[in-house]
Amino acid sequence: METSCLLVKPGRKRFKSLVVKTVFLILGRSFHAASKLDLDIKKEIETWDEGFKFMMKVFPESPSMIVEKRKGILVYRGSKGGSADLTIIFKSIESAFLVFTAQCGTCRAFAESRVIVSGDISKAMSLVRCLNILQRYLFPLFINRFILKRPPSMPWYKQFIRAYIYLLGVPFGL
Amino acid sequence: MLPSYYEFYNPVKIISGEKALDNLPYELNRLQVTRPLIITDKGVTDAGLVKTVIRAFAESGIILGGVYDDVPSDSSVTVVNDIAGVFRRNECDGLIAVGGGSPIDTAKAVNILVSEEGDNLFQFAGHDVLRRPLKPLVVIPTTAGTGSEVTYVAVIADPSRKVKMSFTSAYLYPRLAVLDPRMTLSIPPGITAATGMDALSHAMEAVTCLQKNPISDALAMASIDLIGKNLLKVVAHGRDEEARLAMSNAACLAGAAFSNSMVGLVHSLGHAAGGVAGVPHGVAMSIFLPYVFDYNMEKTAPDLARLLLPFGGPEEYANTPPAHRARRTIELIRALRQSLYDLCQLPRTLKEAEVSRDKLEAIARTAINDGSLTFNPVEVTYDDALLLLREAYD
Repeated sequence: METSCLLVKPGRKRFKSLVVKTVFLILGRSFHAASKLDLDIKKEIETWDEGFKFMMKVFPESPSMIVEKRKGILVYRGSKGGSADLTIIFKSIESAFLVFTAQCGTCRAFAESRVIVSGDISKAMSLVRCLNILQRYLFPLFINRFILKRPPSMPWYKQFIRAYIYLLGVPFGL
Repeated sequence: MLPSYYEFYNPVKIISGEKALDNLPYELNRLQVTRPLIITDKGVTDAGLVKTVIRAFAESGIILGGVYDDVPSDSSVTVVNDIAGVFRRNECDGLIAVGGGSPIDTAKAVNILVSEEGDNLFQFAGHDVLRRPLKPLVVIPTTAGTGSEVTYVAVIADPSRKVKMSFTSAYLYPRLAVLDPRMTLSIPPGITAATGMDALSHAMEAVTCLQKNPISDALAMASIDLIGKNLLKVVAHGRDEEARLAMSNAACLAGAAFSNSMVGLVHSLGHAAGGVAGVPHGVAMSIFLPYVFDYNMEKTAPDLARLLLPFGGPEEYANTPPAHRARRTIELIRALRQSLYDLCQLPRTLKEAEVSRDKLEAIARTAINDGSLTFNPVEVTYDDALLLLREAYD
């Protein structure tokens, strides 16, 4: 008698997937808002070519976030748009969830090989510096102290940029 | 302390010791290679080392597919294409790299072209682009420093675009590394010292940087122990076979450690100083090690303290109060650099390495975009890097 062995279809992780999709949306819109106002981010992206595209995604294909440099600022292009010049790939939805819920910093995620980079490494270093600045806006200092090696400084006038990101950038994509 | 998650991989078979080279035909047979192509440089040929390799094939029945010994010190895509042509014309089925970093990286890149049957190396640049196992590659290092015989990286220059392309893939690991003391006996003291300090920097950064893990730690600590006992010996007495073999093993152990733990700021500054001012890699490592460890002290003191045991020996470790061990490790690195300067004038500062002061800004700018910086335990800005370079200048 032949042994029967049925195919197994693993389930979904809908909640974690939703959280990661939401954070990608917040990050994409925050990149756009911050690139218009923050001088440090402006200085970083000055060296990027016009039309330079970067993508963050979770293996194998989704969710994802695509951001493009257009007319000197970063523009959020949503989750679809083909290839990019630089791609940051989370190896699993669990890795992305750890990072996006501030349980694991970006530098620790790299150190634990939870994330891989495809593309020009020097551009990736520049992008990580932008990401660190952005995280400083998005999270309070006590969380930043946990997830960043050394949180970027936050002078008083940057509170206006933070307010803009929270009130107009993230909700309306401005 | 265990990291919450880590990965470790190294599939390279290592054969090491007296007459190790003579077992190469057997190993090639095991890998089903019948016509290997030797890739090396003129320095290696002139030192008579290629003859030693060829002699190992006597009575083996293997016919060598050729010896390509025109690899320059900074290998380029043109050389890679040229060698791939030789490989195809001579119907070779495996590669043997004999030399230091350049012939080894070249052989890895040639292997990409001949295995993927392509003629455009660019399309395989980057991380994890390769999708299938490559042809067997054997590495016979003739320096004890880079550890390239057990790493998965190759860097090749593209002169037309004036860039260096980096290839990283698990498929780039060689299948076999042969550590034979005969292959390193003729290295002059200056290169012996610089490559030895390169190995030391690999091992020490492996223990102190963010991607460290228990396996890389064990390999790195064993490497530091061997370097502490043998580096000065081989610089002073180059014909000491036992010490030479110990240093080859140390470099290999450090290579296996750092290709899994990665390296940090010492290498970021070193890559930048090499690219901008032409400072040889090992020399740069030797210059920057103590300055970077001072800079990283706030986060790495416990790890630096642990290094004292393999580096200084058990008596030194026991006689140093626990609170002073990290600082003592740095003092011993400085003392080693001074001894190497006394023996063979290995530069201790950027000024001694003939770097002009006006290049420091460019080095700092390049260093903060180097990928190794990701794994440094302390954040580094442009201003921090520049300050460190000024300290290391004179």
